[in-house]
Amino acid sequence: MSERSDENLKGVPMKRYDLVREGLIVFGVTFVLVVVLSIVFSSPDYPTVKAQDVANDQPVAFLQTSANILAGNSSIQTYGPPYTNDTGNAQNLVGIAPATVMGVTDPINPPEDFVIKPLEKAAVINPGITSALSTFQAASSDQQQTWLKNYLAALDQATTDSTGKVSLPGGDYGPVEAMMNGMLALGKSGLLEGALNNSSQLPFNTDFTNALLFFEDDVYHSVAEKLDMLGSLWGISNETGQYPGAWWLWPYTFFYQIPPMNSSPNGDLQVVAIISVVFLITLFTPFVPILNRIPKWIKIYKWIWRDWYKNNKAG
Amino acid sequence: MNLTRGIQNSLKKNLSLEDALPTRMPIYVNSMAYLFGVITLCALVMLILTGVVMALFGPTWYHFSPAGRFVNSMHFWSVQVFFAGIIMHMITKFFMAAWRGGRWITWLVGGLAFGVGMFTGLTGFLSQTNWDSQWIATQAKDAMNAAGIGQLFNTMNLGQVLMLHIVVLPLVICILVGYHIYQIRRDSPVKPIPEDKEKSKK
Repeated sequence: MSERSDENLKGVPMKRYDLVREGLIVFGVTFVLVVVLSIVFSSPDYPTVKAQDVANDQPVAFLQTSANILAGNSSIQTYGPPYTNDTGNAQNLVGIAPATVMGVTDPINPPEDFVIKPLEKAAVINPGITSALSTFQAASSDQQQTWLKNYLAALDQATTDSTGKVSLPGGDYGPVEAMMNGMLALGKSGLLEGALNNSSQLPFNTDFTNALLFFEDDVYHSVAEKLDMLGSLWGISNETGQYPGAWWLWPYTFFYQIPPMNSSPNGDLQVVAIISVVFLITLFTPFVPILNRIPKWIKIYKWIWRDWYKNNKAG
Repeated sequence: MNLTRGIQNSLKKNLSLEDALPTRMPIYVNSMAYLFGVITLCALVMLILTGVVMALFGPTWYHFSPAGRFVNSMHFWSVQVFFAGIIMHMITKFFMAAWRGGRWITWLVGGLAFGVGMFTGLTGFLSQTNWDSQWIATQAKDAMNAAGIGQLFNTMNLGQVLMLHIVVLPLVICILVGYHIYQIRRDSPVKPIPEDKEKSKK
C-alpha cells in the first residue's frame, strides 16, 4: 500500500477483498434490474403537441392564441430580458435582477415575430392574406386593438362544425378575421413551426425558441393540467403517466408550493436563491455547525458499523 | 526536475496499485451502506453505454424504433437507479460523518458531481424531443432567465441542450467522479466513529 494508506490503516485489522469481483457482481445486478424494468415498464414518450394538432382539434384555442399574441396579450410581450426590454418585469430579489445583467440577447416582438412574419411568408402562397395584412399594418394602433378586441370577444361565441370550420357572429373585425384564418390555415398545413423558427443557417436549425413560446400560455397549460404536470402540482419533477419523473427535484419544486414563492412574481428567483443556499449548505456540511453533529446524535452509524462495535467494544 | 520521478513518488505516497485495486479491506467495511456508491457508479456506466448507443443512432431514433425504444428505456431506468443510488450514498455517508479525517474535499467533490448530475438530468428531459421536453423547456426557462443565466443556457435551444447533455456534462461528471474515486482510494475508508470518545463527551 502507499505510505499514506500505511499510515491511515496502521493497526486496523484487515480482511480479504476482491474489488473487481464485487464491482462486476453489482454491475450485473444493476444491469439485470435495468433490463427487467425496461422490459416490464418501457419508458414514457408522450407525443409532442404540434401546431397542426391544435389547429385541427382545437381551432378556437388556436385562434385565441394567435389573436392574443397579435393583441400584445402573450406572456412574452412584456417578459423582460432576455426577450424584451421591460427590465421592470425581470424577477428581482431585494432589488437585484440578475436577468438585467446581460440584458436582451434574444429579442422577440411577439405580434411581429409570431404572427405578422409567419403571415407574410404564408402570403407568398396565399395572396389573399396580403391585402388583409396591408390593411392591418396601415391602421392606427387603436383601430387594430378595436378589431382584435371585437374578434376575441366573438371567439367566445364561435361555433365549430364537423369539418373544423369556425363561424363567428357578425361584427367589426376589420382584416383580423382574414389574418387569423390565414394563421389557422398555416397551422393546419403543418408549416407554422417552420415559419416561426427563423435561422440564418437554413435549412439547418437547432433552436426552437419561437415555436415553443407560441403555445406556452393557455394551450400548453391545458395539456399539462390534464397530465398533472402544472407547477402547482410539482411541475417538472412529474412525468407523464404513472412513471417516476425527476423525483430528485422534489426539494426544488417543493419551494414552489409554499408562500411566498407560490404566488410571488419573483417566485422563480426566490426558489433559485433558496435552492442555491441549500446546495451550498450540502456541499459544506462538514463545516456547518449543528448539521455536522447530527450523525453523532442520531447514531445511525452504530447500525452501519454494528459488527465493528460488537467486536471492538473499546472502539 | 524529473516529472516522471515526481509522479512515481506521488503515486508511491498516495496511491499504490493495492490502493487502486485492493485485495484487502479494513474489517469495518462490512455493511450494505458501502454498496450505494458502487450502485451509483454502475448506473453511471449503464448511462454512458446506453447514451453512446443512442448517440450513434441520433436523438429521435427511439421514437420510431423498437430497439431504440428499449435502449431509451434502459437509459431512463438507469437514471432512476443512478439518482436512487447517489442519494442513498449521500445519506449514508452523512450519517457516517464520512468527511472526518480531512475527507471533506471528497464530500465536496461528490456533492458537486450530484449537482452536475441533476443538471445533466434536466438536459436529458429537455433532449427527449417529446411533450415532456416541450413542457419542461418552457417551464424551466423562467428559472434560468430569473437567475440571469437564460442568456447563456436556452432550454429551448435543442442543439445547445443536446450537446451539453451528451458531451460537456458527462465529461464533467466523469472527471468529478474519477477524482472522487481517486480521493476515496487514496484516503482509505473512513474509520468508525470512536465510541469511547462519544461517551466521554456526554
